[in-house]
Amino acid sequence: MDSNQAKPSLELTHEKPKGVPVLVSFSKHDQTELQSADIKIETVNLAVFYGKFRALSDINISIPEKRITAIIGPSGCGKSTLLRSFNRMNDLVPRSHIEGEIRLDGENIFAMGIDVVNVRRRIGMVFQRPNPFPMSIFENVAYGPHLYGIRNHRVLQEIVEKSLHQAALWDEVKDKLNNSGMALSGGQQQRLCIARALAVEPEVILMDEPASALDPVSTLKIEDLMQSLKTNYTIVIVTHNMQQAARVSDFTAFMMIDSNRAGKMVEFGPTAHIFTNPKNKQTEDYVTGRFG
Amino acid sequence: MSTITSSHSRRSATTYINPANGYNRRKTINVIMLVLTGLLTLLALVPLFWIVSYIFIKGSQYLTPSFFTQLPRPLGMPGGGVLHAIEGTLLLTFLSALFAIPPGVLAAFYTAYHPQTPLGIAVRFGTDVLSGVPSIVIGIFGYALIVKPQGHYSALAGGVALAILMVPTIIRTTEEMIKLVPQSLREGALALGSPEWITSFKVTLPAALSGIITGFMLSIARASGETAPLLFTALGNDRFEIGQLIRGGIQNKDSILTILGKILDQPVDSLPLTLFKYTQQPYPERVNQAWTVALILMGLVLLTNLIARVWVIIRTSSN
Repeated sequence: MDSNQAKPSLELTHEKPKGVPVLVSFSKHDQTELQSADIKIETVNLAVFYGKFRALSDINISIPEKRITAIIGPSGCGKSTLLRSFNRMNDLVPRSHIEGEIRLDGENIFAMGIDVVNVRRRIGMVFQRPNPFPMSIFENVAYGPHLYGIRNHRVLQEIVEKSLHQAALWDEVKDKLNNSGMALSGGQQQRLCIARALAVEPEVILMDEPASALDPVSTLKIEDLMQSLKTNYTIVIVTHNMQQAARVSDFTAFMMIDSNRAGKMVEFGPTAHIFTNPKNKQTEDYVTGRFG
Repeated sequence: MSTITSSHSRRSATTYINPANGYNRRKTINVIMLVLTGLLTLLALVPLFWIVSYIFIKGSQYLTPSFFTQLPRPLGMPGGGVLHAIEGTLLLTFLSALFAIPPGVLAAFYTAYHPQTPLGIAVRFGTDVLSGVPSIVIGIFGYALIVKPQGHYSALAGGVALAILMVPTIIRTTEEMIKLVPQSLREGALALGSPEWITSFKVTLPAALSGIITGFMLSIARASGETAPLLFTALGNDRFEIGQLIRGGIQNKDSILTILGKILDQPVDSLPLTLFKYTQQPYPERVNQAWTVALILMGLVLLTNLIARVWVIIRTSSN
């Protein structure tokens, strides 16, 4: 279990970061090692409860900055629960609570005195189904900035244009910014939601199966978009699609439920390792399709 | 593997289903049922058309422009109208909507998002009970609450009584509409760091608005047809004319508040109240006028419903 296997035999992702990764946590006992990427989000013995039910237990994961981290695993293993605890969306579930810590830049986001609004501004989210607001395209993107007190229309216009450019949607909608966001196609709606998230200048973007409701062409666009966004943003994506995880991500976390039906982190490491040379038998079975 | 083998063995075994069995019987029952449901649907619509056409025939006799623009004349004199009742109905409806809608919508947001809290359960139970309270009881309540302490009947008391009648419907319909808005929409806003109240008003409410407005219109239509609560609160006033009150106020150089106070502080009439009183009178002309009042009232309710539906169609097609 040493961490010197930086040369995977099979290159699965098209854009591997140079000189990075040996950030591997083989099991909960091992320390996460980090060589060249900084840690953006870190969980420490995280457990999430819904009422008395333990949905996640002993999660220790370090999300590297400006990389794409994929979370894979069978249905019901707590991938989304983990993702949604990063920006405290689980607070919305009645009678849910967490144990352990989630640190954003080293600061526990569940600590007293932390403003959840600020956490969510810094950690944006894109959902499984596109969920544009029932407003115009412009208003959808301007919603966040307006919320944070930007009222000057010219500034708002700049932000909207910049965000739509970043989300690779500008050319398609620049002539119809006042049309309803709901009138766009599914793929466009999803990019609108990404633009909306980018407009509040987040540092991290969480994506909960962002392409599972989209057709292959739109999926490809979203994946290309993720590649261009990772130069500035830390991206965490939950996906059911292992090929997608292999294509887009730099790091992959594999999760499973244990005998108590609680989600656990089985293995976390560079994507190439997870897919070609997994350390854990369960991971191997899962990524080779023998299971799940 | 096991499923594949089992389906193989299934295929080779004898089949139990013969589609030809009882085919004619099923077809016949289907046709009978279809005819039966169609006939009963027609039967259910009979009262509606009967009422509408009957009221139209009986009521169109006095349906002249002056009936809408004049106050009642003394008995025995021809002509006159029910302007007082039309204005009173509009005033009472406006007041009751004003009193019922804001608290109703806020309460609906609370019960929709906190259904399991003690207050949420209590409000839900309370609205169920309140919607079952006979309207005349609410009239007596309005009498004890406002008329008795003030010492006189008033439009204000009538508006409050009708508002109490409307609140449960508004809470329940609004709550249902809010619940229909996908949770993901609300989460999308919250994930941007939007506080819950801004999310509710800027995202959830607009998304649910067409349904909520329909609920408003239906409860308004219902309240504007109520008689019983007004017997004890608005009482009736066949000299009520808002135009006159405003003109008189301007002549006296009264402030707007004083004029408004005068309008709200005196007894008013309403269409159902007038209808009720006219039918009690032993004069054929009044009874005939009552039919016309019924026609106007029905037209008003129909119009309100129509506006609500057209509005919904326009809203949904623009999105």
